[in-house]
Amino acid sequence: MAVHRTGTREEWDAARAELLEREKQLTRLNDELARQRLELPWVPIDKPYSFATDAGPRTLAELFDGRSQLLIYNFMFGPEYEAGCPVCSSIADSFDGVLAHLAARDVTMICVSRAPIEKLLAYRGRMGWRFDWASSEGSDFNFDFGRSHSPEQVRSFLDGGVPPQVSKLASECGTDAAGFLEEGPGLTAFARADDQIHMTYATTARGVEPLMVYYAILDRAPLGRNEGDPSEPWFRRHDEYPAT
Amino acid sequence: MPERTIGTREEWEAAREQLARLEAAQAERGEEIKQRRLELPWVPVEKEYTFDTEDGRKTLAELFDGRSQLLAYNIMFGPDYTLGACPGCTSVGDGLDGALVHLQHRDVTLICFSRAPIERLVAYKRRMGWQFPYVSTYGTEFPFDFGLALTEEQASGSSKVREMVENPPGWLEEWSQQVGAELKDGLREAPSWIAFARENGTVYHTYTVTAPDPFVAPYFSFLLDRTPKPQPEEPRSWRKDEYPG
Repeated sequence: MAVHRTGTREEWDAARAELLEREKQLTRLNDELARQRLELPWVPIDKPYSFATDAGPRTLAELFDGRSQLLIYNFMFGPEYEAGCPVCSSIADSFDGVLAHLAARDVTMICVSRAPIEKLLAYRGRMGWRFDWASSEGSDFNFDFGRSHSPEQVRSFLDGGVPPQVSKLASECGTDAAGFLEEGPGLTAFARADDQIHMTYATTARGVEPLMVYYAILDRAPLGRNEGDPSEPWFRRHDEYPAT
Repeated sequence: MPERTIGTREEWEAAREQLARLEAAQAERGEEIKQRRLELPWVPVEKEYTFDTEDGRKTLAELFDGRSQLLAYNIMFGPDYTLGACPGCTSVGDGLDGALVHLQHRDVTLICFSRAPIERLVAYKRRMGWQFPYVSTYGTEFPFDFGLALTEEQASGSSKVREMVENPPGWLEEWSQQVGAELKDGLREAPSWIAFARENGTVYHTYTVTAPDPFVAPYFSFLLDRTPKPQPEEPRSWRKDEYPG
């Protein structure tokens, strides 16, 4: 590691003050985005969906668990996977500890994946998580919300070749690139009132990055993310890091 | 709650597309800021500090636990707090444990600091079920040197603090009851993140950020920003084992 530019306290203070102005602008933009998110129209969801859970079959309305807001993390764990996606697993590590705070604010947060419920529950047991996990196996849910893709769609993504990161993640999930890419990550929000459900917000790709708590922390660390260029995927399941 | 616009999937897609452009612009600004953050000069820490930890006395260099980077969240829990740490800071703490192992493998040690004595921190950590190392800055000059706490003189000399002590909004009065401290004492702690690097035996201070930066907010506020309903304007927080109702 090269020695970083060093300075006096006064030099740091001056550079920090300049950076703070930019950070404040970003905070204001963040507030504006939060406001605009609330202005998105709500889309009525009238199609019935059924999910398998550890407590038996559940409708979408029942997944709210009595609250008026539902956040679904679309966890990449397809029918062909032997284990959940390592990146999604690190996201689950991030939110599993704060479920009580969300519940107290009338928000139920769960994961939905397309693998059979038995596989999901076994993996949840291995990872020590507490969130509720529902299986959308055999349901149109993941396809209707753009989280799962048909083999034909996947073939068209793969026409240009398989990126090495995809092959690596696929093999870590015990599947091949085609099986792995049938699933995509996402966060989808729903509201429920008077027995009517609405979809209110959805995001994917870089939009789920704020769910990775370690990235927010690394972004304030002395060396930042330090992932190399091009960046090397470094995260593993929390029980698969080599011992230090 | 304001009236909702109900729309078709196509109307939602169109509005979402517009919002996505703003989200992308924000992400781009975030990248620029990250780059500038890495360009801040590192300031050598020349003073010796020793802290009470769960494993005895440790120097600042020892808090790195063999890694090259140290990130600490300063939980507002002053020596005068009789009922525990600030509930908002406690909520930040609740979001950290899931990151520990991933950060360790990026050469980053994550800890929390507070100014209350170590016995109180250990008891509170047990109550909250936390895993991260919790370090007391009690009796050191460290929090005053790095802007993590105000001395009594600084607090009484600050017009901002005086205004909050003399005319506290309702939520702040409740906060004072939640922590069991008078505001004149309770407001001496700063909710902040602080970062240090260690290289060739020298420790460098690299970064500090204090509320109201969104990073100095509970992890779950990112999620609440994406739920259907707006969040209350006032920053009321509760410890996870003390929610009303």
